[in-house]
Amino acid sequence: MNLAFYPGCSLEGMANDYARSIIAVFEKLDVGLVEIDDWTCCGATAAHSLSDAMSVVLPAKNLAAAEKMGLDIVSPCANCFNRLTYSRKMLSKNIYDVPWNVTGKSKVHDMTRFLAQPDMISQIKDNVLMPLKGLNLVSYYGCQMVRPPRITGFTDYENPRTMDHIAEALGANALDWSYKATCCGASIGLGRRDIQLTLSARLIQKARQTGAEAIIVSCPLCQANLDMVQTEKGSQKVPIFYFTELMRLAFEGKACSIKNFRMHLTDPGPLLRKKALID
Amino acid sequence: MEQVTEKKDTYTPKEISATRRIIGDRGEYFLRSVEGETMANISACYQCERCTNACPVSIYMNINPHQVIRYVQLGWREELLRSTTIWVCLSCEMCTTYCPNDVDVAKTVNHLRNMAFRSTVPPAEKVLAVFHETFVKELQRFGRVNEFWLVGSLNSHPDVLKEKIKTGALKEELFLGLELLKKGKLKLIPHRSKEMKKIRDICLKETRGTI
Repeated sequence: MNLAFYPGCSLEGMANDYARSIIAVFEKLDVGLVEIDDWTCCGATAAHSLSDAMSVVLPAKNLAAAEKMGLDIVSPCANCFNRLTYSRKMLSKNIYDVPWNVTGKSKVHDMTRFLAQPDMISQIKDNVLMPLKGLNLVSYYGCQMVRPPRITGFTDYENPRTMDHIAEALGANALDWSYKATCCGASIGLGRRDIQLTLSARLIQKARQTGAEAIIVSCPLCQANLDMVQTEKGSQKVPIFYFTELMRLAFEGKACSIKNFRMHLTDPGPLLRKKALID
Repeated sequence: MEQVTEKKDTYTPKEISATRRIIGDRGEYFLRSVEGETMANISACYQCERCTNACPVSIYMNINPHQVIRYVQLGWREELLRSTTIWVCLSCEMCTTYCPNDVDVAKTVNHLRNMAFRSTVPPAEKVLAVFHETFVKELQRFGRVNEFWLVGSLNSHPDVLKEKIKTGALKEELFLGLELLKKGKLKLIPHRSKEMKKIRDICLKETRGTI
């Protein structure tokens, strides 16, 4: 089985460790990833802020390219997934003029939900070399992946469980908490840093109160926000992992080097050594 | 019934004080146009304030989300376009998701933001407005958005630069940028798409050459 891979702009820059871990993980699974040739930006929040039509037409290029390949799209970034799904839905109404050929036959999958399907979970369980025993973590989904439910198709948008299922398959201890889909501040930090710090710091604090030693995320912007807020003075230190990074750690066992985590601002080394998961 | 029509006949604009506005003083034109373009079900709002309670940033807004819907019903366009609300909104869709009456609050706020970009009303949060414009400008340059170029381009905008030097945010961002560079999180040379012409045409058509 093959899927068209739409990485999104962040996975080339700030989140290129996420991209590397995804490729390493999918090599072990029975799914091939084919990167969409010459993909372009989905427009993110800025495109729909300026013009709703632009946010429908811009992602259509990637939908068209995936259709040419005859594959379904999988997107690791929450916002890209949301924009592509929205575009696909709006294009079916035929109200916008699109310069590319799009029929809407390629579906858009969110990576966490794709990997949380029962057959993928059993594949993940088969591949685990070193269970992440004793690692207490909370999963954080953010806004764009789950809301609005009529676009994303999440039925359990108040308590999404996809990443919890994956974490449990890896042998980690996924805790329940109330801030799974509370906003981290997104890109507002570039203009109003005070708002972003308040929102992100609250998430870190609540995760600590729940008893989590790490947070797993799937959105590159959420990871950057939650990681960067910890560079502030007096902040509690909680490593923020992409969920695929932990999958890679469990799949590769002791062969997984600490260098794979070097891009984190909050060093996860001490935690992983304490749990004897890395040398 | 007769009494009501009588009242309407005797009513003159002079009797209204300057501080009080009449309900629906723009007829229902504004409500109908916004509702028609967004399909957001705005007239169904009964002011239960659930959107405001769900909003993570309502304390930073001068007009709360439930008030935005009421203002649209009343046709108060200028107040809405001048508000900080439309810029502070994170598009997290909490309001839309939790509305018991299926009012698409987030889409309404987004539509007002689109209107503000096309209007001559100066934005209440200058930096946030410039950020959105810069993002699309960068998209038009390469087809993909590169974080290093995006922040560089944003901070070299004269208004943003002045604001960030005043608040000291520029210094913090420079140190953070250096840290990110050391960690190898910044890609300095962006990738350029092959179909730039089509992308530029879309952006030009939708923004009408304003950015």
